[in-house]
Amino acid sequence: MTEFAHPATDYGVVEEEPPALLERNLLIGSRLWASSLVFFFFAFLFAYFYLRSLNQHGLFQPKGVSPPQAWGAVVAVCLAASAVLLSWGAVDQRSERRGLWRLKGVGALALALVAVVAQVVAWSTLGFGPTDGGYASVYLGWTGLYTIFVVGSLYWLETCLALSFRYRDEPFGRAEVEPGDASGDDYREAPDIRNAVHLNTAELAALTFTWTTMAVIGVVTWVVLYLA
Amino acid sequence: MRRRRLVEFNLLTGVVLGIVGFYVGWWLGHLVKAPSLDYFDDTGQNDIALFVAYFTGVVGFLVGLGFANYPVQRMLGKPPSLREKETEGIGRYFGLCTDHKVVGIQYLIGIGAFIFIGGLNAMLIRFELLRPTHLAWNGNNYLTLVGLHGTMMMGMMTSGILGPFANYFVPLMIGARRMAFPRIEALTFWLLMAAGTILMTALAFGGFPTGWTGYAPLSVQANMGMDAYIAFFALVGLSMTLLGLNMLATVITMRAPGLAWGRLPIFVWGTVSTSVLMLLAAPVLISTLFMLALDRTAQTGFFNDQAGGSPYLYENLFWIFGHPEVYILALPGMGIVLELLPVFSRKPLWGYRLAVTGLLGITLLSFLVWQHHLFVSGINADLRPFYMLSTELISLPTGFIFVCALGTLWAGRIRLTVPMLFALAWVFNFLIGGLSGVFLSDVPSDVTTHGSFFSMAHFHYTIMGGLVFAFFGAVYYWLPKMTGFELDERLGKLHFWVMFLAFNSTFGPLLVIGFLGMPRRVVTYAGYLQGANEWVSVSAFVLGASMLVFVANLVWSQVFARVPAGANPWGSKSIEFQLPSPVPVHDFDRIPTFGPDPYPYGGIEEAGFDGTRPAVSPARPTP
Repeated sequence: MTEFAHPATDYGVVEEEPPALLERNLLIGSRLWASSLVFFFFAFLFAYFYLRSLNQHGLFQPKGVSPPQAWGAVVAVCLAASAVLLSWGAVDQRSERRGLWRLKGVGALALALVAVVAQVVAWSTLGFGPTDGGYASVYLGWTGLYTIFVVGSLYWLETCLALSFRYRDEPFGRAEVEPGDASGDDYREAPDIRNAVHLNTAELAALTFTWTTMAVIGVVTWVVLYLA
Repeated sequence: MRRRRLVEFNLLTGVVLGIVGFYVGWWLGHLVKAPSLDYFDDTGQNDIALFVAYFTGVVGFLVGLGFANYPVQRMLGKPPSLREKETEGIGRYFGLCTDHKVVGIQYLIGIGAFIFIGGLNAMLIRFELLRPTHLAWNGNNYLTLVGLHGTMMMGMMTSGILGPFANYFVPLMIGARRMAFPRIEALTFWLLMAAGTILMTALAFGGFPTGWTGYAPLSVQANMGMDAYIAFFALVGLSMTLLGLNMLATVITMRAPGLAWGRLPIFVWGTVSTSVLMLLAAPVLISTLFMLALDRTAQTGFFNDQAGGSPYLYENLFWIFGHPEVYILALPGMGIVLELLPVFSRKPLWGYRLAVTGLLGITLLSFLVWQHHLFVSGINADLRPFYMLSTELISLPTGFIFVCALGTLWAGRIRLTVPMLFALAWVFNFLIGGLSGVFLSDVPSDVTTHGSFFSMAHFHYTIMGGLVFAFFGAVYYWLPKMTGFELDERLGKLHFWVMFLAFNSTFGPLLVIGFLGMPRRVVTYAGYLQGANEWVSVSAFVLGASMLVFVANLVWSQVFARVPAGANPWGSKSIEFQLPSPVPVHDFDRIPTFGPDPYPYGGIEEAGFDGTRPAVSPARPTP
């Protein structure tokens, strides 16, 4: 069978990857991850309404099973405030006010940590246990998994802050990276990012979207578990 | 020269740290004291310890492979990088490697090994069913065999095509040099290997009695082997979610110039639609298993009727994931078949847009049908018509796929190569699978066939007849490109014919046996069904033997004969076959520019397949 002609492959002439590609990947990836996050917690929303509507043996939420309202409000407010602060910080980063972004980033991190601590305190002051009916199960499962995701997102926020602090003296837009530095491809002819600061901006935009989604889920959690 | 570490991060280190992590977790888990755990003292069943052990074992395994290095560097402020790539050497197959082609081959071998184990379980099941009474296994062991077979197959085959073939070929087909998130790509594979190993450990903890569906309340009450099921499927779910995310991000952002959505190869569309399902359905599974784990450890009552919960909640949540899961298995097969038919019919894909509509239609509808699995579970009777109709509606987009397949074959110059034979077998098998599915979507007939061997035969026709035949079609089509060596044609045809005939000889009669009333997951059956069961078992053994023909072909062709395949053994116009074999590490010197027609077959040049009208403008010549 005749084969197609193809040009000889020369490892020395691999052309550059568009510097914007990593940024686009991060932005699209964050949106896809956010859609996935919604479905993680959709399962708990479904469980809540399913068990509530069934109310087997009147055991969905027996008397005395009620969450600590004050701690629930603290968690929701801290998460929402953290998301707002982070979004605000992302605007600062884009506007080259990187000192302000770091300040707001640390604030967002602190608020989220307060939310996690408040959730742990809420668990320890519950007037009910895991065996106390459908509501108790959903409450513990939902808030438990949510807290795990919040801690995971906090790790991401910490890496963004650490990168920003490490390169705090690096000016915007200066290309000092080696060819193929971001992609790890030694055959590249040109840099595939502009510099670390630039990637920090893209990563922060991606994180902001994810974090906002997490905060929205947190507020929904609060409305369903504490107010409904 | 790269500096060598005292201890390298590779598979061996991963295994050692995985075992150490397991025992550390086992010890830590036994330190947990809580009022709800009092029963451990009486039963010796400590599910918390086992869950912690699985978790720390997986963490140790991943640390040993090198997955922790980058996250720690990022915590210290190092910039994002994809730099984990070894460019050559056999060592790259035994550790964290971010080359999508290496990951594809890792998937092919890793998944293949676990599917082989799942297949052996099937042989043991059919051996037991040679007699209507107990032959080799008692009821509990039989159920564990059924569970291990079903769970291993359903879990591993979710990535059976996307893992090896989409990871390897989608970047090539869209003109990219890598996946969007290469480190995540590698992680999905190693998570799957950890999951498979964990499922095997179920045997050490007494197995599990629930089959692959893990229905409550049995799964809440079962012994510690159930924890292996939960950990396995949770890891598979995580792997699926990340694989879907990575695939979608890659196709969305990394398509080469000119490659508009309407020009994507149909296999890429199959991958996209599967990835959407993976991204959205797998999280529901993970959350459901999280609930189940809490029921088994913290004594919550999600699925406990006496504690304010409901086992039907599990059924609902499981099938919200489970039915899309069925299409996660089916859609890649459709993509492959529609990709192969134009090559071996020398015609463009007939009804390209119709095929894409079919794939996306199935994707959407698969989220709206889950309650047909609960027709006999006492659901509200008013809900039945909706779910019956929505299920039957799926046959419409599925019909689009068939129409496109047959339209492509029509008046084509068909070459009955081994990949083409498997593609044609898919058309036949999946048709039977689809037609038998209509009976299960219809409430009156489902009431009598639910839980019988009819149902089991139906999904084997769709999943094995669909996915596994398409998988082998893909292996015969793409493996020469992946390894650079041809597979033996005669052994391939022998493999096909034995497999095709034995498959239909196995599962065709099972449709009848199911109609005659033989239930699934029961070790004994009525005496008058023995003759039919003996026929099926012998056919199943022949089916199993056909896999040995494939293994023999693989070993002979790739290890001993090693006949070079050349760049384009099939005369394909697809871009991956325009590249040299093996494909260079960076795929393309220059990012290619695509033309308007993804399937430019049937032109004047077809007489000699001389490639004067390629689908892609080739890379610029080397200066």
